[in-house]
Amino acid sequence: MKSRFFWDTFFNKTLSAAALVSVLTLAGIFLLLLYNGLQAFSTIDIAEFLSAAPWNPAAYDAPVFGIGAMLFSTLIVTFGSMLIAVPLGIGTAAFLSEMASPRLRNLLKPAIEMLAAIPSVVIGFLGIVLVAPGLAQVFDLPNGLNALNGSILLAVMALPTLISVSEDAIHAVPDYYKEASYALGANRWETLLRVTLPACKSGVLAAVMLGLGRALGETMTVLMATGNATAMPHSIFDPVRTITATVAIEMGEVPFRTPHFYSLFACALVLFLITLGVNIAAERLAARLRKKGQ
Amino acid sequence: MEKIKLDVQALDLFFGKKQVLKNIHLSIPEGKITALIGPSGCGKSTLLRSINRLHDLHPDARLMGKILLDGHNILHRNTNVVHLRRRVGMVFQKPNPFPMSIAENVAYGLKINALCSKSEMRARVEQSLRNSFLWEEVADDLDKSALELSGGQQQRLCIARAIAVEPEVILFDEPCSALDPISTAKIEELIMGLRGKFTQVIVTHNMQQAQRVADYTAFMYLGELIEFGETRQIFEKPQQELTKNYVSGHFG
Amino acid sequence: MRRPLFFLLPLLFVQCSHPQVETVVLKGSDTELNLVLQLAEAYMEAEPGVSISITGGGSGVGIAALLNGKTDIANSSREINAYETAMAYERGVQIEPFIFAADALAIIVHPSVGLDSLSLHDLGKIYAGEIRDWSQLGGKPGPVSLYGRQSNSGTFTYFRERVLKRDFSPDLKQMNGTSQILEAVKADPGSIGYVGLGYLTDNNGALREGIRVIRLARTNGEMAVSPLDQNMVYAGLYPLTRPLYQYTNGVPEGKTKTFLEFENSPAGKKIILENGYLSAREAGLAGNLEK
Ligand SMILES: Nc1ncnc2c1ncn2[C@@H]1O[C@H](COP(=O)(O)OP(=O)(O)O)[C@@H](O)[C@H]1O
Ligand SMILES: [Mg+2]
Repeated sequence: MKSRFFWDTFFNKTLSAAALVSVLTLAGIFLLLLYNGLQAFSTIDIAEFLSAAPWNPAAYDAPVFGIGAMLFSTLIVTFGSMLIAVPLGIGTAAFLSEMASPRLRNLLKPAIEMLAAIPSVVIGFLGIVLVAPGLAQVFDLPNGLNALNGSILLAVMALPTLISVSEDAIHAVPDYYKEASYALGANRWETLLRVTLPACKSGVLAAVMLGLGRALGETMTVLMATGNATAMPHSIFDPVRTITATVAIEMGEVPFRTPHFYSLFACALVLFLITLGVNIAAERLAARLRKKGQ
Repeated sequence: MEKIKLDVQALDLFFGKKQVLKNIHLSIPEGKITALIGPSGCGKSTLLRSINRLHDLHPDARLMGKILLDGHNILHRNTNVVHLRRRVGMVFQKPNPFPMSIAENVAYGLKINALCSKSEMRARVEQSLRNSFLWEEVADDLDKSALELSGGQQQRLCIARAIAVEPEVILFDEPCSALDPISTAKIEELIMGLRGKFTQVIVTHNMQQAQRVADYTAFMYLGELIEFGETRQIFEKPQQELTKNYVSGHFG
Repeated sequence: MRRPLFFLLPLLFVQCSHPQVETVVLKGSDTELNLVLQLAEAYMEAEPGVSISITGGGSGVGIAALLNGKTDIANSSREINAYETAMAYERGVQIEPFIFAADALAIIVHPSVGLDSLSLHDLGKIYAGEIRDWSQLGGKPGPVSLYGRQSNSGTFTYFRERVLKRDFSPDLKQMNGTSQILEAVKADPGSIGYVGLGYLTDNNGALREGIRVIRLARTNGEMAVSPLDQNMVYAGLYPLTRPLYQYTNGVPEGKTKTFLEFENSPAGKKIILENGYLSAREAGLAGNLEK
């Protein structure tokens, strides 16, 4: 009796400690970002920081710290990747869950999940040698290292998670919903679009958010594949430089505790706030969907 | 003799190697209520689901024999399943309204089958809800989620959803097994109210219920149809020893 | 059951009595990376007790690492700048520069551009985004497409100091490495890019196809020189010849010193020339160890 009580307390304490460590780590990271990021604004004008003046902290004369073009670039690359990955991912998940034979599903799903293990440098490399030349040819561009190339590669990276998580959600929709729909004369397509997907939309939304998070935070691939021009892009065929790529390129060369150093933290802080905002919005939306739905 | 709506002829059904229905012969008269009774696992649901071909969704289910609906074999591979299912509606054991609003649930089948125009939709929804005795309770909450209704209300909503597309046959698979006595009484009243309008087949393991609502009763045992006849005859003068034992509560 | 442990004890002493392997850490320029790697390999073969660890990342990365105390030698293809010098002073880092080799920066264009020589002045205008169409210089009409390296590369900074004396056009496509510039220029009809001399030839020493090497003139009207013309380059007449630096914190000692000396030895020079670089003295730049 005594030993059972001991183990119960022991596990309770251990798990609480583990949770505490995670929360403290996260809080620590946030405070570090905040502390270093906000110091940037003791020397950099915040209006300049938020402007579209092209980012050039190591300029020939006066450094320019404008995050506008990078922010916009980050958003179009990410948004573009979701435009590709979401329909493709949900479609694939629906196919795997609803149309494919169990044997095919058991073969394809682990294979797709394994794609997530491909290192981002490899994807970036494929972007340079395969996708970019392909894009240049198809769209008759001088060079394929552009925003679209980044979007495609990020979509590829987001797909495994997106497919796997949304397939789980679709698969978890109880059969009795589908049977009720079939019994009313709906075909598979109508059942999928009108009953199955709406019934698991909070799960699918979670999958999309995970994919979006991956795309927003990805560094290596975009650094390698988007051409990294700091100018404001005018189309998806322009080369772009994202916030993550900028931080990755410049963090290594910057002497510590300088305005340039702090400005990179400010960039990271902006990225963090975007991700946080997206997650909070998704959480709210998912909660609302859950209340309306299942 | 009444017109036969559904005629099951020499139906065998296998799940993989396991035979679940054995040489079933059953003639179901039009406009009447027919009860399927028998111990749990004897194949009642399986037989019912054969009638609107829900087994199509199971790759390992194999059917042999015929089921004639108005003389046409619905098991024939050329049968348009979507069309068949519109003519043969189904209400399931566990109330299963879609995770949508009350009105959308009823309108679902109408929209899918394009059975009426947008302007008629509201009237059709209301009519179906009235016919299933639910209108009074939900008239002000048509846009509320169907999942907020009680179990009994949900089951009546499922009936409203089924009758909205005006099928010819409605199949009920133990529609009251998850409900309390008051809700059960309402559903029974509803089913009896629909007598004549639809051909109804109801699976039940509740023998009082079969006696209360059904015109005809079929008794199944271990995948076989043991006896079929007028309800009173089955319960008061069963021809078979097995039926007698079952209806007198000696097993099951 | 304790016995086996006692057996192991002498082994521990053997381990300790072994001379410790000395490690020299180098960090910085990607331009220098390949060359320094080869020098290091040859050096380690000659002196087995030394381990040399080299990473790239760009000249800025190397100098920052030196300032942050994270490397013994910073490889840099540009001179340390005023800002970094001030930083070093503040942190008490004693910067010592060495020039161990030289590199000529070649300007390449897509053959369809229709030009084969440029002045430094016009080159600057092109990279600053002031000349946007090749017809402005008498080339085949078509937009100019700019390729260069990322801002953490020494080549980026050297080019800016030497050619532009102002900022690069924000339309500059910043590639990850020199090979990527080479490939991009081959594929893009209006393109111009800059690469180290060593990259112009393939492994067999043959000039790469699909690009045109531009002859450069110091000023408009002066004679234009090709970086492939060895005599002119050694005579100091090619305008984009640049020293390749290595910086240390304080006067180098121990293995750091012997490695720097090895680079300047005849064996080291041979490797430098074989890789398509110029030894510092031939290019008219003195290596400081002899100074
Ligand atoms: N999908 C299936 N696969 C295999 N066996 C099944 C399947 N569905 C039902 N069965 C089996 O068929 C038999 C009849 O089941 P069912 O028709 O549900 O019985 P009842 O409705 O009379 O209780 C049971 O033994 C059951 O285990
Ligand atoms: Mg059943």
